[in-house]
Amino acid sequence: MKTFIGIDIGSLATKIVLLSDGKMLDHRTERSTYDFKRIGHNLFDDLLEKNNLNKDDVFLMSTGYGRNTIDIADDRVTEITAHAKGTQYFFPDVHSVIDIGGQDSKAIVISKKTGNVVDFQMNDKCAAGTGRFLEVMAHALEVPIDQFGALALRSNKSASISSTCTVFAESEVISLFARGASKEEIASGIHRSIARRVAGMSKRIGVGPKLVFCGGVALNPAVKKYLEDELGYEVEIPEFPQLTGAIGAALIAEANNSH
Amino acid sequence: MDDSNLLSDFTFFLKEKKQEGIKIIAYLAHDNIPEELIDAAGFFPLRLIFGGSDELMDASHDYLPPSTCAFAQSCIGLFSIKPNYYKFLELVDYIIVSNHCVSDICVSEIISKYFNIPRLNFYVSYTKNENSLKYFKLELQDFRNQLEATLGKKISDEDIHNSILKFNNFKKKLLEINELETTGSEKLKLIHKSMLFGPDFLHDLENLIQKFKDTPQPVSTTSKDVLLTGCSIFINDNLIDLIEEGGGNIVFFDTWIGNHYYSQIIEDNHIDIEKDPLDLLVLKFKNNIYSDHSVPDFLKQKVSFIQKYSENYKKNKGRKLGVINHIIKFCDHISLMSSFLKDSLQEKGIQVLNLERDYSRANRGQLSTRIEAYLEMMK
Repeated sequence: MKTFIGIDIGSLATKIVLLSDGKMLDHRTERSTYDFKRIGHNLFDDLLEKNNLNKDDVFLMSTGYGRNTIDIADDRVTEITAHAKGTQYFFPDVHSVIDIGGQDSKAIVISKKTGNVVDFQMNDKCAAGTGRFLEVMAHALEVPIDQFGALALRSNKSASISSTCTVFAESEVISLFARGASKEEIASGIHRSIARRVAGMSKRIGVGPKLVFCGGVALNPAVKKYLEDELGYEVEIPEFPQLTGAIGAALIAEANNSH
Repeated sequence: MDDSNLLSDFTFFLKEKKQEGIKIIAYLAHDNIPEELIDAAGFFPLRLIFGGSDELMDASHDYLPPSTCAFAQSCIGLFSIKPNYYKFLELVDYIIVSNHCVSDICVSEIISKYFNIPRLNFYVSYTKNENSLKYFKLELQDFRNQLEATLGKKISDEDIHNSILKFNNFKKKLLEINELETTGSEKLKLIHKSMLFGPDFLHDLENLIQKFKDTPQPVSTTSKDVLLTGCSIFINDNLIDLIEEGGGNIVFFDTWIGNHYYSQIIEDNHIDIEKDPLDLLVLKFKNNIYSDHSVPDFLKQKVSFIQKYSENYKKNKGRKLGVINHIIKFCDHISLMSSFLKDSLQEKGIQVLNLERDYSRANRGQLSTRIEAYLEMMK
C-alpha cells in the first residue's frame, strides 16, 4: 500500500507527517529558518530513513507558505484546504477552523455535507493577529514564548492594547509599563487583543461551533481562553494542533490517489 | 504579465502624436470623462491605467498618507519618479481634475499643483435624475468651452458627432473580446492596448481579433473560470499572472478596464447629425449602469448582472463560474460594498472571493494562497 507524506512549510515551523491507510504513523517538526527547501528535504529524508521507505514508495504533498519551494513534492495544496481536511482527522464533525500561524491567521468554514471549504478569511500582510505578534510582544516583556500564555492567565485584569499594528503595540506596551501596569496585565491585554482581532475576522464569514483552533498559537492557553470569551462558545484544540496542515495535505494526497 | 513592450510602443506612439502638435490630456481611469470631446478637439485622451509597485507607492508619501487608495498612490508615484517605461508622462499637457472618488479629486489636484501640469475641470454628479442630467450637460458644455479656449477655436458639432461614431465603432469591436476563445491574460493584453492607444488601434485590433477567431486558443479544461469584478487590473500589474498560475482563468472582465468601458455604446438609432451631440454624451452617461455614479442602484444592478451572467455561463458552457471581487486597498467605494456584494451573491449560490490587496511585493505569497484556496474551493 502506498504511503502518503504531507509537509507543511510554514514561515516559522516546518511540519511533516507520514500517513498510511488514514492513520498518522510518524511526524517531525522543525524551525523553518530562512532555507525552507533545505529544512523540507532534511525532514523528508529523515522520515524516509527512519521508516525504511524510498522516495518511490511515497507520495509527497506540500502545503503552507513555502509549498512551492520544495521541488520534490508530487503535488501541492493550500494550507486553507489542508487545515480544513486535517482538522477533520481529529474532529470529523468540525464546522469551523481558526488557524493562527507564525505569519498569518485564517478562519475557515467547512460544509457539514461535503467536508469541503465553503468560505475562508485570511489576515492581510500585517503581523497583527499572528504568532509573530506574540513573539515580538513576548520579547518586549522578556518572557519566554512558551510561558507567555500562562503569564497572561495569572492576571484577572487585562491592560487595554488599542494598537492593532505590531510596531505601535510594542510602543504601547512600553508606555503601559511606564504607567505602572504589571507584566501579567500587559500580557493578558496582548492576548486579548489578538483574540479580539482574529474573532472579529472569523465572525465575518460566519464561523460557529464546532470550532477547532489549530496552528502553533493554539498551544498558547490564553489565546484559546480569550477566543472563547470573544466567540461565546467552546473552542476545541486537536492533539497535535501544529500538524493539522501536514495531516490534511497527506489525507488529500491519499484521497486523490486512492482510485 | 510583462507590459514593457506595450509601454515602449506607447511611448513611441505618443511622441509621434506630440510631434504632430497634438496635445496630451491625461486623466485618472474615470468612466465618465467625455473622451469624444477631447478627440473632437484634436487632442489625445490619455487614460492613466497603470498599476503600481512598492517604489511608486513610497514615492507618493510626500503628498498623500499611506492610507490612500493604492492606485492613487501609484499615480502620484508615476509623476513623482517617472520610471523608465513611463517617461511619456513628461509629454502630458493637461490633467483633468475630476471627482470620480475622493482619491480622484486629491490625486488630480496634486498632479496639477505639484508637477506643474495645467488643469482642466470636469465634475460629475453621483445621481442620474432629471436635474443631474441637466447638470451633466452643463459640465459637458463647460468642458467643451475649456477645450475650445485651449485650442483657440470652436469645436464643431460635426467633429463631435464624428468622434462619437469613431469611439462607438471602436467599442463595438472591443465587445467581441468577451467571446474570444483564449486566456484571460491574452484578452487583457488586447483591452489594455486598446484603452491606451484608443481608436487609432482599431485596424490592428480587427486583425488580432480575427486571428483569435481563425485560430482559437482553447484554455485548459482543468482551469477554473472566473469573472473579475471590483477594481480593474491595470497595466504592469501581475494579478492576472497569480490567478493563472494558481489555475484560474478570467473569462469576463466586469471592470472598468473591460466590459464597463466598451459596453458604453450609443445605439445607432440615437445618433442624429441634426441633434446636439452633447445630448448623446448625456445619454451615454445616463445609460452607464456600471458606473459608481449610479447611486442609489449601483450595487443592486451589479448583483443582478453578475447573477444573470453566471446563470447564462453555466447554461451555455456547462461550467461553474467563480467571482473574484478585486479590491485595491483603501479604494473606499469598492471595499465598502464588498461584504454586501459577497453576501448577496453567496445567497444566490455564487461563491465570491473578496481579494483585497495593494501593489506591494510583500503580500504576493498571501495573495497566491487566497487565490489558490478559492480555486480549490470551486472544485
